Amino acid sequence: MFFVALALVAVLWEVYKALGPERGGELFGSTVIPKTNDRVMPHTWEMLAEFFDPEVRDTPLVWEAVLGYAWFTFRLALVGLLLGTFIGVGLAVLMARFRIVERGLLPYVVASQTVPLIALAPQIATIAGNWGLPKWTWVSSLGAFLAFFPITVATLKGMKAAPPAALELMDSYAAGWWTTLIKLRFPTAVPSIVPGMKLAATASVIGVIVAEISTGLSGGIGKAALTYSQKATSEPAQVYTAVIGASVLGLALFGLVAGLEAVAMRHRPKEQLA
Amino acid sequence: MTAAADSAPAPSAAVSVGRASMVFNAGRVNEVAALTDIELDIQPRDFVSLIGPSGCGKSTLLRLIANLLTPTSGEVFVNGKPAAQARLDQDYGMAFQQSGLFEWRSVRKNIELPLELKGWAKQRRADRANEMLELVQLPEFGDHRPWELSGGMQQRIAIARALAAHPPLLLMDEPFGALDEMTREHMQAELLRICAAAETTVVFVTHSIPEAVYLSNRVVVMSPRPGRITDVIDVDLGGERDEDTREDDAFYATITQVREALRGAEHDSGQPVRGVDDR
Repeated sequence: MFFVALALVAVLWEVYKALGPERGGELFGSTVIPKTNDRVMPHTWEMLAEFFDPEVRDTPLVWEAVLGYAWFTFRLALVGLLLGTFIGVGLAVLMARFRIVERGLLPYVVASQTVPLIALAPQIATIAGNWGLPKWTWVSSLGAFLAFFPITVATLKGMKAAPPAALELMDSYAAGWWTTLIKLRFPTAVPSIVPGMKLAATASVIGVIVAEISTGLSGGIGKAALTYSQKATSEPAQVYTAVIGASVLGLALFGLVAGLEAVAMRHRPKEQLA
Repeated sequence: MTAAADSAPAPSAAVSVGRASMVFNAGRVNEVAALTDIELDIQPRDFVSLIGPSGCGKSTLLRLIANLLTPTSGEVFVNGKPAAQARLDQDYGMAFQQSGLFEWRSVRKNIELPLELKGWAKQRRADRANEMLELVQLPEFGDHRPWELSGGMQQRIAIARALAAHPPLLLMDEPFGALDEMTREHMQAELLRICAAAETTVVFVTHSIPEAVYLSNRVVVMSPRPGRITDVIDVDLGGERDEDTREDDAFYATITQVREALRGAEHDSGQPVRGVDDR
């Protein structure tokens, strides 16, 4: 099904390229539908062919390079996801434990998600430089910055889903708050946490790519996309190889979480699987 | 909970409730007097049912005994100790209408839960879980997940979990309320067998008159708000209780007696009796 959909997208691209206006559609002087020339919309086969060109003269082929960049960014995004999960679950536990923390912190947690990452990244990179931390740690932490939010929300919701009878049962065992957390609330929350991690996985990829570009960290797919797009005149198809690379790495991280879900949920009733 | 030494009950009582009252939201507009002046003594190996219309406070009374709620006034002793201490010592097991089994644990691990919390070693827990599975006659289901079992089987596992630590007291809040009639009658017979084998005292909340009569040697009849005990009826059906008991004249006579006691409770409180089941 995935490949059918992919082929369909390619067909739509080519159909629009063939039928759409060469100079794009303009409304009151601004372009509202894209131009169809080869610089803006290269043929899909040119994108594919681009993968097998050398990146620049006498270097490895583009697909090898893109794969390397994607792998680099994948690892940063994975670190971001793990860090975000850790922070997200920790915050949720803290909020569940102390109502006052939930009331005080939740507005800031929500506000944190609307802070423009691009504005934040260079400052953070400067601070990181002053602290002598390698740049990639801060790029990853910006992934975590976007990743922790869906996890906090999902964990909090999941922990509150423990049925009253189950809570009374733990009470009847004279189980303390932490015991109840570990034996009841946390397992109850797992079916919410895992979908939260799926959202967090894509958020982490976005955070890391944006951070790569705005901090100028090279070696990843973000910087590659920037470099390739600057060569749009000579090699218009090349930037799309980076776009495809970014999509593939996003899918890979999502797939990793889906695999984790299958493991975590293997003993649960099937209807809970999202 | 404060209890003067001289007011402590005889150590022989399994449960002793002394002049206990429960007021929810005291001093606010939504104040509710849930229980008033409850006096109740339950002897070891008694099977006592609490019956009454919806909102009569029977579940509240059960929760006072379990120390899940603390009475506004009065005192509760379990096994001769204040209820709070009895809860800390896990002197009772509890079962609810929803079996409340943890779906991420196997049946066996569910039964082991109270033992885990008591800090039992792994082998000892496993041995006890096997013993309990035998007791509820589901030995081959230990490695299943609770949600793979029928409602009646889940409820049996919940009873096994409640009795796993061999508590002297079992508290049950409408445990068979969600089961169909056939399963329910079967479970009632099973419960009597299990409790006889485990020598357990039972306090059983129900709104079914025949269920209360079939199971109990004493039926405590309660009136609606403010909840109070209006009658305690001794049930003497003679000998073993089995399926024939349900067609016994004494069974029907006691059902009638309980029903009239409930009507009396209705008359006293001036409120209609609702939520009591004649089935």
